[in-house]
Amino acid sequence: MKALVLGVGSPFGADRIGWLAVDALTPHLHGVADLQASDRPGARLLALMRGYECAVIIDALQGAAPGSVHCLRRDQLAASSLQAVHSFGVADALALGEALGELPARVVLIGIGAGEGDVPPPVDWDVLAHLVRSRLSAENPRDSD
Amino acid sequence: MSERRDITINVPVLARVEGEGTLDLHIVGDRIEQLRLRIFEPPRLFEKFLEGRGYRDVPDMVARICGICPVAYQMSAVHAIEQAFDMDPGPWVRDMRRLFYCGEWLQSHALHIHLLAAPDFLGFVTAVAMAEKFPEEVRRGLHLQELGNAIIRLLGARSVHPVGARVGGFFHAPRPEDAAALLARLRAALPDAEALVRWVASLPVPDDVQDFTCVSLRQPNEYPMNEGRLVSSHGLDLAIRSYREHFREFHAPHSTALHSSLDDQPYLVGPLARLNLNLDRLPEPVLGNLQATGVRFPSTNMFHSALARAVEIHCALWEAIRLLEGYRPAEPYIEATPRAGVGYGCTEAPRGILWHRFEMDEQGRVVNTDIVPPTAQNQARIEQDLHRSLSAFGLDHAPESLRLRAEMVIRNYDPCISCATHFLHLNLERQ
Repeated sequence: MKALVLGVGSPFGADRIGWLAVDALTPHLHGVADLQASDRPGARLLALMRGYECAVIIDALQGAAPGSVHCLRRDQLAASSLQAVHSFGVADALALGEALGELPARVVLIGIGAGEGDVPPPVDWDVLAHLVRSRLSAENPRDSD
Repeated sequence: MSERRDITINVPVLARVEGEGTLDLHIVGDRIEQLRLRIFEPPRLFEKFLEGRGYRDVPDMVARICGICPVAYQMSAVHAIEQAFDMDPGPWVRDMRRLFYCGEWLQSHALHIHLLAAPDFLGFVTAVAMAEKFPEEVRRGLHLQELGNAIIRLLGARSVHPVGARVGGFFHAPRPEDAAALLARLRAALPDAEALVRWVASLPVPDDVQDFTCVSLRQPNEYPMNEGRLVSSHGLDLAIRSYREHFREFHAPHSTALHSSLDDQPYLVGPLARLNLNLDRLPEPVLGNLQATGVRFPSTNMFHSALARAVEIHCALWEAIRLLEGYRPAEPYIEATPRAGVGYGCTEAPRGILWHRFEMDEQGRVVNTDIVPPTAQNQARIEQDLHRSLSAFGLDHAPESLRLRAEMVIRNYDPCISCATHFLHLNLERQ
């Protein structure tokens, strides 16, 4: 299965948690998934995921305990909990992909509590790596539904 | 008894452009008592951030002013600094900068047409809802947007806040095989761009003819992007260094952004102004495709801005193909020799002219800078348009209808706040 792990968000401030996640996961996922970080891709998210059967999207999460790791459903995204600072955010891009029939067979959404400050909080990267590995190997055909 | 309606429309703006905007609309009876569009523009802060920084830092810093048009900020800045240093990077760099700009027009215009403007014209609340009914059109639009991103990546290494541009040229010359691969993709997309123009021309836009002044750059023999003289539909023709002789920025009490005026009047910058003033500079196939739609330019219908964007997508694609057809790698930059001086840069950002003035010291550090972005220049014009359009629409319409119409008018300018205007809130108070 061709898989992508995509950290999204600003490369600066607490929002850079998606970028830090990609750095932390790289040694854990060698040969398992491609890893990439993207600065708030908006609709370009669809192009980034094209050709993959599974995409794991990791973004900063507002309103959750700093550093906590959460597996999210698509309907939870609709509440704009992810720091989609461009108004066309992850939830919009996924909805557009759904309408166009252009989503990977599996889309996994992971949010990490970003806290209130400008500095990313400490994260237990081993917990995140375990979660991502388990989701990549899960049988569930559409985690995000 | 007269009816007083206090309407406040809040425009929460994209965090990545550091902006905030609000439309305050006060209607008393059958007239607009007060209409104020408030936009906070970030370049005011960047001007101070830049002071004391070396010329090598500038392209990366100004790229951060806008996540949608970073190329425009980089290009205006490098041109200004090169003029201050009395540099001429030569024809290869000039061509590659034009190609770079084609990429930005493609991605920015495609985004606006398909995700922002077209849903308005077709009566959809969101682009997602429109995509369910018009999947092929949206797919085509996203494909054109991605081609723009691919051009930016070819020269800038990444499509958002690219890092390939520098004073003197680019850090690297694209490999011929990468350029050839992209050229093949661009050629394959030409029918898409032609079809896009036909489709946008067929959209049911309001017939809203207005009187306004257009301002853009103009070149002797090409559609303007990176250089040219400043011209207007009222006969203005001046060098960019003379911008301040006719254009004035002023503080409007209700806004933290500077308003702009041309000889004390609002004016329009952006694709409609550019096309109106440069119709004869379009490549012949692009002009022919436009003329076949039956829509006549120059146009004073503001809602033809969307069609102008589609035409510029076709133009940018055509130009990018032309530039890549003759592509050969070359020395991608010339070294700068700093000297004290003042330079000016003015380029055509997707939203209109972006004017820069840089004063540099003998070590190549920024002494001071002056940045005038297109959204600030259009702010007074948007207010003028809102006054007229809402009055013509009918102030007795329901608040929700007024809000939607105001959103549509604002969004048509593709201001940096355009995405956020989907979230306008209307509070109506009746007395």
